[in-house]
Amino acid sequence: MDVEVEGRVEMVTLSLRDGELQCVSSDARNDGPHVLAALQFVAGMETREDSSPPGSLPSISAQPPEQSSASELADALDDLLTAITRIGVDKAQHAPSVDAALERLIGVAPKPTPSGLGRFIGRLQQAVRSAELRRVARLLKGASELADALRAATPTPEAALRVGAWLGARPGSRPDVELLYDRTMIEVGREWLSGTERASLERRYLIDAQSGGIYREDRVRNANASLGPCPRELQVGLAEVEPGPNPRRIRVLQYEVEPDVPAESWDSLHQVASQSFVQVTEQYRCALRTSPALCEPFALIAPFRIERDGVFKAFDAEGHQLVLDRSERRGAVLAFYDLLAQGIEPSWLAGRLTDTGTTVCLTPFAMGTFDGKYTRL
Amino acid sequence: MAHNSDTDVDTLELCLREGIAGNEYADPREALGCDTDTDDAEVARALVRIVAAHDLGEIGMRSVRPEAVRHPSVRPPTEVTADPSFLGRLSATGDEGLSVERIDDVPTLLAVLRAGSRRQRRAALARLRERLVDRRLLQSDEVRKAIQIISKLRDVELGYELAQLRAELPGASGRTARQEHEQWKRLAQRTEFEIRAFWDGQSSVDAFRGLPGDQRALLLMRVSELSNLVVQHITAIIEGSDGSVPLESRIGLITSLRYARDPRLVPALVAVLEAERGELVASAARVLGGMDDARAQPALAERFERSFVAEERIALAGALGMHGDLRGLSEVRSSLDEDHPKLPLQALEAMESLGSPDSTDLVTKFLDHADASIAIQAARTCARIGDGRALDELTDRYNATAVPALQAAIEDALSAIAARMELRGEEAATIDWSEVGNKPVARKGPRDSLPAIALGWRDYFMGRLWLLLGRVTWAVARFESAAARRDDWGAPLIGIGMTFARREQYALALPAFRRAIEVDRLRIERNPILVRAMAKAFLHRAEQVEREGRDDVARGLVGEVLTLDLRRAPGTVRFELKRKHDVLRREEQGSVDSAA
Repeated sequence: MDVEVEGRVEMVTLSLRDGELQCVSSDARNDGPHVLAALQFVAGMETREDSSPPGSLPSISAQPPEQSSASELADALDDLLTAITRIGVDKAQHAPSVDAALERLIGVAPKPTPSGLGRFIGRLQQAVRSAELRRVARLLKGASELADALRAATPTPEAALRVGAWLGARPGSRPDVELLYDRTMIEVGREWLSGTERASLERRYLIDAQSGGIYREDRVRNANASLGPCPRELQVGLAEVEPGPNPRRIRVLQYEVEPDVPAESWDSLHQVASQSFVQVTEQYRCALRTSPALCEPFALIAPFRIERDGVFKAFDAEGHQLVLDRSERRGAVLAFYDLLAQGIEPSWLAGRLTDTGTTVCLTPFAMGTFDGKYTRL
Repeated sequence: MAHNSDTDVDTLELCLREGIAGNEYADPREALGCDTDTDDAEVARALVRIVAAHDLGEIGMRSVRPEAVRHPSVRPPTEVTADPSFLGRLSATGDEGLSVERIDDVPTLLAVLRAGSRRQRRAALARLRERLVDRRLLQSDEVRKAIQIISKLRDVELGYELAQLRAELPGASGRTARQEHEQWKRLAQRTEFEIRAFWDGQSSVDAFRGLPGDQRALLLMRVSELSNLVVQHITAIIEGSDGSVPLESRIGLITSLRYARDPRLVPALVAVLEAERGELVASAARVLGGMDDARAQPALAERFERSFVAEERIALAGALGMHGDLRGLSEVRSSLDEDHPKLPLQALEAMESLGSPDSTDLVTKFLDHADASIAIQAARTCARIGDGRALDELTDRYNATAVPALQAAIEDALSAIAARMELRGEEAATIDWSEVGNKPVARKGPRDSLPAIALGWRDYFMGRLWLLLGRVTWAVARFESAAARRDDWGAPLIGIGMTFARREQYALALPAFRRAIEVDRLRIERNPILVRAMAKAFLHRAEQVEREGRDDVARGLVGEVLTLDLRRAPGTVRFELKRKHDVLRREEQGSVDSAA
């Protein structure tokens, strides 16, 4: 929450960890006046103007299931897999059995539906609607792996990780998060994604300007996330990174926002961008292997050269190519081609990685040029 | 379960595509090498695992024809018969064919400026700007006439382009425009400073919330000249990621960007189309309709295909129409064709871009509508359709109505239609302005006596003198005395109104302006300084009472001033009045959808 004391506004983060309340304000103090004012406000000892949005906010991670409901959830996932496979991908869109299986899955899932599971449902519905066999197969494979992990009496670390990525951390368990301090991150793109409903999840793509690490900040509709437009530069004081599918999820806890990203920061992105497309492809394959249903890899690439004759192709120094996926974000692709037609040459490109079954493609979100300019697509 | 290695993965893919229950082409159990009595659940798990694993092995960097993969979900625009006339074929840009950029003839450009679509009008203005750069041409009669017309043009939709062009003109018009630009720069600097403080955490108040409506409209009119910081702040509000601006203010800001063309705004507006509902979507669609950006049309089309809210669909249809995509035409037409049309104002507005001469009858029937704002919109739509058959209806309506704003809209429509007919090579419509013109106001009583006139002037001058000396109360008393001596004399009442308006005492200015309008409306409407002061007084008073929660009073004030001919008022003030009118009207109908 933002707390104003003596004309100064600081953001105070209150979090419950292992039964212990942790408080810290954005000036990096845990006993400052802002923290005390926040605690007094929460405890009802002080009356302040409350400007939080009306209505109850869904928590970011839902309560994961107990053992009995875990097996119920595993059964529901298996039922969904069987229902689609019985009727066939081509006819699944209008099959009542598939609808019923989806309803049952949502019904037995923890409430509110965890964002991982929600996103799986959204992607599956989209893949079924467009009868994309390979995507459906990948998603269902991921679902069957989750079902196995849920049924395991003594889950392996991988199984626990998988359950955590889909359903959030188990109550009482210590979330195995990585803490990041004092990083400069740049948001290069954001998009609304479907879950159990259309546009129920906003995803922002943040890139660490020093290491080139790519993170996603997911925000469920009506929930809070870090503030600021896209693009923006974040001076991150403290952030948590969850283990899980690529890109890993980040929660930015303390930060400062610079809405106008300086040209030097864009240059630094160019420096950390991937220059080998073989490596990008291998990372994509690896992400799919580890987490076939949940991973939606994002990449930042710096082409060695480009071809703009008819269809855009980016090449790395070894001559490997990467093309654009023109089926998603059609407007962004058209705008990108317009920029190319104006003679603008990208020094780097950021986008979500997809594939056509055989070829890895990039759905563009942003591009930078050699003169330090940025275009959000 | 062992996979039968002899089986082609294509067979397994066929099983998954066609279904394992009763597949006529392949037996999934045999293909997977499992027993015939293996249950479906186990077969299904094995099937998807093998297909997915094979798929993973295939992924590489092979050559592919990207255009051949996965079809876009949105159907292509509806094919419509192109308008074969000059304006129908006239493109805004391009070096080939009929293009505004290639027209040299100044009268033709002026006709396009009156009769064309928004894009054509913008292009005509840009072309005129190029022509006026050549100082040698300034002496020609044609160019002098063009300068005169540009100085008087009050097209709100072209506010930014007009301001740019006027700033380059010689004389008083140019000086005023340059002064306005300087004023804008100061405002922009101040706003930028406040935005910086907001993001630095030194202020929790958004810079736009404190701005009066006309100032905000003025600032946003030149949005493409604003710094990255300000535009980024605007996009944060549009997307709702600023953390402080409420929904209504968010809608207000997007509406204020109605005629903006800055491509930096497009991704945020597209995000609104993708994720929000109701009025937010309708407002964002109207802005995107006017954007010459490749991202706009696909986003509008995609949203139109899946939207089921009438308000959204009509706004989206109109915006698509501006991109030459008429997929929403039949829906808007049928909505206007109903006995009791829903959202007639929005539908008529959409017809500005969707309509063709076929729609003239449908639109002109709204000229008689009891609600003046709907009748005014119908006149505007007639102007954009530009069909000569509407001339008689418009003329009849002009003579029948007592609403000055409707008369002004009809005058503009008649002029636009005449220009369009000229461009079509038809005989230019000869408008009998003596018939259409303002009728003499009937005198209420006998002429004022000579002593009354003399005393009236004495009081009036005394009032001006007291005003110069700063004695406002005495000045007002003298003005009142002067007004009381002569029934039909507006000058003292205007003096009172202007005195209070300059002191920002709008509640006191309004009664004086109202009386002055009653006595001598034309004098106010035809004087740019008076009409600006009067319109701003109504606008600012409406803002004041709205802040006090008296929306009904605010609605009444805005509605009242919009019945006057405001063509000589600044475009930003008219834009803001119209915007506020729409917002208050929506609130009255209770149709502001929650975007949650």
